[in-house]
Amino acid sequence: MQDLVKAVADMMEDEAMALTKKYVEQGVPPLQIIDAYKEALGIIGKRFEQCTYFVPELILAGEMMKTASEIIKPVMKGSQGDVEAPRIGRFLLGTVAGDIHDIGKDMVHMLMDINGFEVKDLGVDVPAQRFWDEYKDFQPDIIGMSGLLTLAFESMKEVADGLKEMGVRDKVKVIIGGGQMDEHACKYIGADAFVTDAVAGVNLCKKWVS
Amino acid sequence: MIIIGEKINGTRKKVAEAIRNRDADFIRQLAERQFESGASYLDINAGSLPQREPEDMVWLVENVQQAVPEAILCLDSANKVALKAGIEKAAKTPMINSLSGETFRIEGVLPLACEFQTELVVLALDDNGIPKTSEGRLDIVRRLVEMTRKGGLPDEKLFVDPLVMAISTGTENGNITLETCRKLLEEFPKVHLTCGLSNISFGMPLRPILNQAFMVLAIQAGVDSTIINPEERELRSIMMAAETLVGKDRHCMNFNRAFRAGKIGPKVDL
Repeated sequence: MQDLVKAVADMMEDEAMALTKKYVEQGVPPLQIIDAYKEALGIIGKRFEQCTYFVPELILAGEMMKTASEIIKPVMKGSQGDVEAPRIGRFLLGTVAGDIHDIGKDMVHMLMDINGFEVKDLGVDVPAQRFWDEYKDFQPDIIGMSGLLTLAFESMKEVADGLKEMGVRDKVKVIIGGGQMDEHACKYIGADAFVTDAVAGVNLCKKWVS
Repeated sequence: MIIIGEKINGTRKKVAEAIRNRDADFIRQLAERQFESGASYLDINAGSLPQREPEDMVWLVENVQQAVPEAILCLDSANKVALKAGIEKAAKTPMINSLSGETFRIEGVLPLACEFQTELVVLALDDNGIPKTSEGRLDIVRRLVEMTRKGGLPDEKLFVDPLVMAISTGTENGNITLETCRKLLEEFPKVHLTCGLSNISFGMPLRPILNQAFMVLAIQAGVDSTIINPEERELRSIMMAAETLVGKDRHCMNFNRAFRAGKIGPKVDL
């Protein structure tokens, strides 16, 4: 199925969908098709890191993935259950209260997804209470807080302090991301790590769960 | 074109360091270089933690206005204590960056702008974020202009920013901004339109080329002010060319003078 891997990795949308349909019709086991997609997503992620692919390629990859799972779903029923590949960890994500920047957060979302995390994205301007509530519901391994404004520092600190009060701070990793994050901010907020670009953040998270 | 120089911004690592170490020379040079490159306004963003921001803001204001007394300062903060301290320290009435429909900015920034009759950057977003449509952005600006008028601030003092989302995440994002510009000017002909346009190219290769192309389109849509790094020679050249081409440069003198002063076009080795 290298033709499918190549079509997806090279952004040949029509060809990829046609091949996916062909393999489904030929009765290829769905999990094998999904593996081809996983392989392609790995290549796409590498190309993104090497700066030959950019955000539009990530978005298109996400769309191909979605369309493909629509095609595969009918034949999955009753056989292997979930279309989703096994996940390596849970990641709770949001841009903190007072801040509405979403590009960085959305990139992290896509990259974490591609890298095998189960991602729950709370959106932008997320109050601390929602992080705490979702922590209990979703039980993430890692909480990622995004923010571009220095105002975000206070909101991030509130979330981290709250986790401490809940007595769960040592059970979950906290990572903060944004253009102006530095060691000083990281210490003030009480996060485990800070990053200023999405790829660095994803790599760190992968290390944490491995 | 009114250029607001963006470089004195504490969210940039080197500037943050200079602020922490009180490296006045570094800040003054940034101010001088931007002013010489055509920025008549200089944005000042301390970017520091809230408790330190007022002190840092005052220090920046002092140093920037000593370095370039002719420039107008553009105080970039949502912290009302820092803004007030900056306004009081400024020799000339500064511009404030920015008001938006976000509650904390309406409560913190708007009263100061009205009290001191400052020029004011107005962002087309609110507590729900940036609307996806031009009509949604217009609604927010309408609401805000009503407030500034009530506070006695004339429309001429407003620099409305229609906001720019990355083209990489939505191919209509450029059109939405341009459409917002046109509608804003129809409804509020006296306001300035300003734009931090580099967001358009986020997540894309060859960002400078996309920024330059978008600058031309924005000028065509009526943008008359921009928050940029004025030292980018190519961007400045294209910006001046576009203004000349849409009839905003009498006898083409701005363009030709800039050429003679060696400020635009390819660098000539002497």
